[in-house]
Amino acid sequence: MKATHVFEAENTVAGYDNEMIIQGVSLVIPSNKISVIIGANACGKSTLLKTMARLIKPASGNVTLDGRPIGKIPSKQLARVLGLLPQSPIVPEGISVADLVGRGRFPHQSLLRGWTQKDYEAVAEAMDLMDITALANQSIDELSGGQRQRVWIAMALAQQTDILFLDEPTTFLDITYQIEILDLLTDLNRKHGTTIVMVLHDINLSARYADYIFALQKGRLLAEGDPSKVITSPLVKDIFGLECTVIKDPVSGSPSVVPIGRYHVNHEISP
Amino acid sequence: MINNNSVKFIMAGRRKRRRRWILVTGLLAGLAFILCWTMLLLGNTIYPVNEVIRVLLGEELNGVSFAVNTIRLPRMLTGLLAGFAFGIAGNTFQTMLRNPLASPDVIGITAGSSAAAVFCILILHTSGAVVSIASVIAGLATVLLIYIFSRGRTFSIGRLILVGIGIQAMLNALISYLLLVGAQQDIPAALRWLSGSLNGSQMHELPPLSVTVLIFAPIIIMLGKHLSMLELGEQMATSLGINTDKTRILLIVSAVTMIALATATTGPIAFVAFLSGPIAKRLVGVGLSNAIPAGLVGVNLVLAGDLIGQFAFDVRYPVGIITGILGAPYLLFLLIRMNRKGDL
Repeated sequence: MKATHVFEAENTVAGYDNEMIIQGVSLVIPSNKISVIIGANACGKSTLLKTMARLIKPASGNVTLDGRPIGKIPSKQLARVLGLLPQSPIVPEGISVADLVGRGRFPHQSLLRGWTQKDYEAVAEAMDLMDITALANQSIDELSGGQRQRVWIAMALAQQTDILFLDEPTTFLDITYQIEILDLLTDLNRKHGTTIVMVLHDINLSARYADYIFALQKGRLLAEGDPSKVITSPLVKDIFGLECTVIKDPVSGSPSVVPIGRYHVNHEISP
Repeated sequence: MINNNSVKFIMAGRRKRRRRWILVTGLLAGLAFILCWTMLLLGNTIYPVNEVIRVLLGEELNGVSFAVNTIRLPRMLTGLLAGFAFGIAGNTFQTMLRNPLASPDVIGITAGSSAAAVFCILILHTSGAVVSIASVIAGLATVLLIYIFSRGRTFSIGRLILVGIGIQAMLNALISYLLLVGAQQDIPAALRWLSGSLNGSQMHELPPLSVTVLIFAPIIIMLGKHLSMLELGEQMATSLGINTDKTRILLIVSAVTMIALATATTGPIAFVAFLSGPIAKRLVGVGLSNAIPAGLVGVNLVLAGDLIGQFAFDVRYPVGIITGILGAPYLLFLLIRMNRKGDL
């Protein structure tokens, strides 16, 4: 099982140039659990994720891993504990699937040495878990969107970190692939105890797959906790500015948001 | 839960790609070796191999010693070092910026070094170390200039390339002007700055370039893995543990120093930096470090180009003309393809 870590943000303010997008967020990432950050567009979900993954330096406040500010931890050492899959990673043209997954081994490798047995094993394990081993020698250009996303996740897995951040891992994928990816990530969490933190757009899938939810509004943490506690109609109204009814998901029992717009509202059924 | 068959399957594929890399790199080195020898053997008189070897080992042979030691050997060594420097430095920029157009000789870095060297030689009448240092500084200053002009709200490689092409045109105009003003005294030297040439290479000019290649080429080769991480984008590279700013600066300084010194020695040999990386990548495949193969392709382009320029026609052409003829169509092809794809 993956190690337990205390990973927290303390009154963190962060953004780009002069525009502060995260305005004083304090949170503790639940270790060995799946957390999902939700919120309206441009509320700072990605920025928060990037700040916690040291891609953006906070303007004030602290992000600490086991008590040490992440900016003070040597980059390669941190990369063995914390991995991030960005929203739109760049594919080197023509690279084979196995070579790309293998790049996730960088933080474990020395300057000039080639792949060790351990590297091969980590790559094989990651690819087996994502069910892409058969594609190992194909060029990534030939793959579908769903397959590509599994390749990227495999690369993050080959990094063998205890904590894995994912920025909208299901965007642009068909619903079938969305479920597939989320199931695979749940496998990873259940089997290996990997702490997963991700940004998801779909609130119902968030409610179903998350152990813990962070709800952001305009760069501030509005609510956090178990999905059944956070996903309520007043909170959804606050977070997204959307009228809704929250029902019980008939499949999972998790809360499920049924939006109320200006049309197609049957007043005999809902008030 | 490691499946040994998966490990074996992945290993087999990776080994196959590695074998191809080793084979192709070996062939490129072999071809370079043959071209080096051809450079020593061919000339106004063709000398037999054993005489050339005896001369190289220090024996004095009438006629042969002068031709080989004073003309052919420095010419060959200059071509070898400059070709390697151009190839490896061009590939570094192209990989780092993820675009084959982002080569130092397309985006004006070479032109910056050339302009500084021309200014030093024709206007300040200096030579040697001053020229080398000035061209390194000018090369780095050009990088900085391109970076400042192409910095918008967000970083765009397309904009960087267009700005670079503009700066290149401006610097070439400056070089032409300097040549007009000061060329009368020294027309052969001036011609070298219009298109690179190995003519008149001399042994005593070699040490600065040799030292530079010996220091900076290994740095770039050792940073091969880092470079391939940068290729995945800023965010991915950072989360894989790369200190992106430090790595980029180290790579840029190494590549620019090599380009500048090579340019100060031979003049801007057209398109060698631009062509070497893509050719090498085609040959060795993607996924393994491209630095050494690109350097070797550079060597082969310069030496083969020089041999063709010297012996294929009635008139002797400098190597830069030959590589220019090779490179220009490829540049057009890339521009058209990228325009279609909407990358520019």
